Amino acid sequence: MNLRADRKSTVFSSAILTAVVVSGLLLTSCSQTNETGEDEKVTALGSLEVTAELSEIRGEFVDRADYDYAFVMKYRMLQVHRGDLSAETLYVGHYNPLKPRDRVADARVPEVGGNLKRFRVGDVHRMALEAPIDEYYMGGIINRYFGEETGPIYWAIWTNLASKPKP
Amino acid sequence: MTLINKHFVCVGLITLLLPIAWGADQKTNQAVDRLAKEVQGKGWIVYGARSENGSWDLFACRPDGSQKRNLTNTPDSEEGAPRFSPDNSKLLYRRMERGATIDHDKWGFQGESIVAEKDASNPVAVGKDGEYPWASWSPDGSQIACLTKKGIQIVDLATKEIVREIPRQGIYQQFFWSPDGKWFCGVANHLGESWTVVRMNAETGELNPLRKFQNCTPDWFPDSMRIIFSSRPAGQKVNDGYGYTQLWMVDGDGSNARLIYGEEEYHIYGGALSPDGQYVVFTKGLKDGSGAEKAGAPIAIMRLSDAPSIGGESKELRGIHPQTKDGPVLVLSDGWEPCWTYAEIGNAK
Repeated sequence: MNLRADRKSTVFSSAILTAVVVSGLLLTSCSQTNETGEDEKVTALGSLEVTAELSEIRGEFVDRADYDYAFVMKYRMLQVHRGDLSAETLYVGHYNPLKPRDRVADARVPEVGGNLKRFRVGDVHRMALEAPIDEYYMGGIINRYFGEETGPIYWAIWTNLASKPKP
Repeated sequence: MTLINKHFVCVGLITLLLPIAWGADQKTNQAVDRLAKEVQGKGWIVYGARSENGSWDLFACRPDGSQKRNLTNTPDSEEGAPRFSPDNSKLLYRRMERGATIDHDKWGFQGESIVAEKDASNPVAVGKDGEYPWASWSPDGSQIACLTKKGIQIVDLATKEIVREIPRQGIYQQFFWSPDGKWFCGVANHLGESWTVVRMNAETGELNPLRKFQNCTPDWFPDSMRIIFSSRPAGQKVNDGYGYTQLWMVDGDGSNARLIYGEEEYHIYGGALSPDGQYVVFTKGLKDGSGAEKAGAPIAIMRLSDAPSIGGESKELRGIHPQTKDGPVLVLSDGWEPCWTYAEIGNAK
């Protein structure tokens, strides 16, 4: 009786351990991006899809829970996956940039998302975009590049962390 | 000075100052009473407020706060932001499902646009949930102007046909058609600056900024020549440098911007004029954002001829506006987005 109970307990413990390890691996693979940043959303949403390096965040983000806004950031283009885009520098508006992309969608802007947790200069992002921003987003825009940019301001719909594309 | 002497000096000072303070309070109360009597018979204020059942309903009261009544009394929905048609025969407002949180910046996108009689009876939804965002009356009440991502749309109310479309040029919320039909006003991203109050020529689409940096909730004076709006000017040291939102007015060409009312400790929103432009109605809330998300904020009334006025101690604000007239301010009950009519609005439920 005792022996059987011990065996049952060992099998049960092993099962739990295996479940924990497997779910841990699954969680890790979900939370970390793959190198290309590719997923079913970024490859399907918007009319443009690029991989670009975040080259500058000009000034501070506005840290106010009761105000929603888009913040324009400067990117260096690395690769165009979809759409017609030849610019070397991109200006991209991200909605409420202090929020992780997987929690940024709300009633006003339900379509945005991605796996990026925070914006850091030097990081590479794979993004699904639309342009111009005004046709896809209606709200406050903090654009500290006004007068410098010559092309459209892009609207980031989906933003995943990626690695620099291999040559 | 001995302790006993100090005690006598203190008592003496209190004895001297108390009647002065009491006298000042009496004078203020008398001025507020005079204002209440002056406005008592001047129509109705209609506004959104929390009712006893917990939902937002439309209420009406006389401008002195008397005869308050619930116009809609609908426990199954949240209602707010009423506006009288220019001929005062109808109301246009937003209705959301029960439990929706009204957002002070997004309410124009929320719920359905409703047209009802001036006493809020016979409500009819103009469209579905989220349709006709920021709907505002045309001068003759036959059309509404809406602010959508794609642009400004003029919609015929009878046919629901879009009769005209104009690029919105960065305007993104709090959008209103002027009483004379010649202009729109709203909050815009303009020349790289968000939260800029702007005016747009309704015919040509030409846009001019009225005031940049931290401005919102613009609305028209009855003469269509001036605009009332909320502003939190830069450089305030109070409130840990965040400052307080004040009520301002500006001419349509952007000139002559001036303070109407400010009070440190309070954020002033929901500014609107009486139909003759003689009085101002607004809300004064302790928290920034007009209190729409909770239960609104106290509604207050002052004479426009008393502008600029400053309430409370407001040391910093008084230093910037030494010409303050400190006119009487009549405080009514809590609400949000008040609107004033001189018409009689009949019986309520």
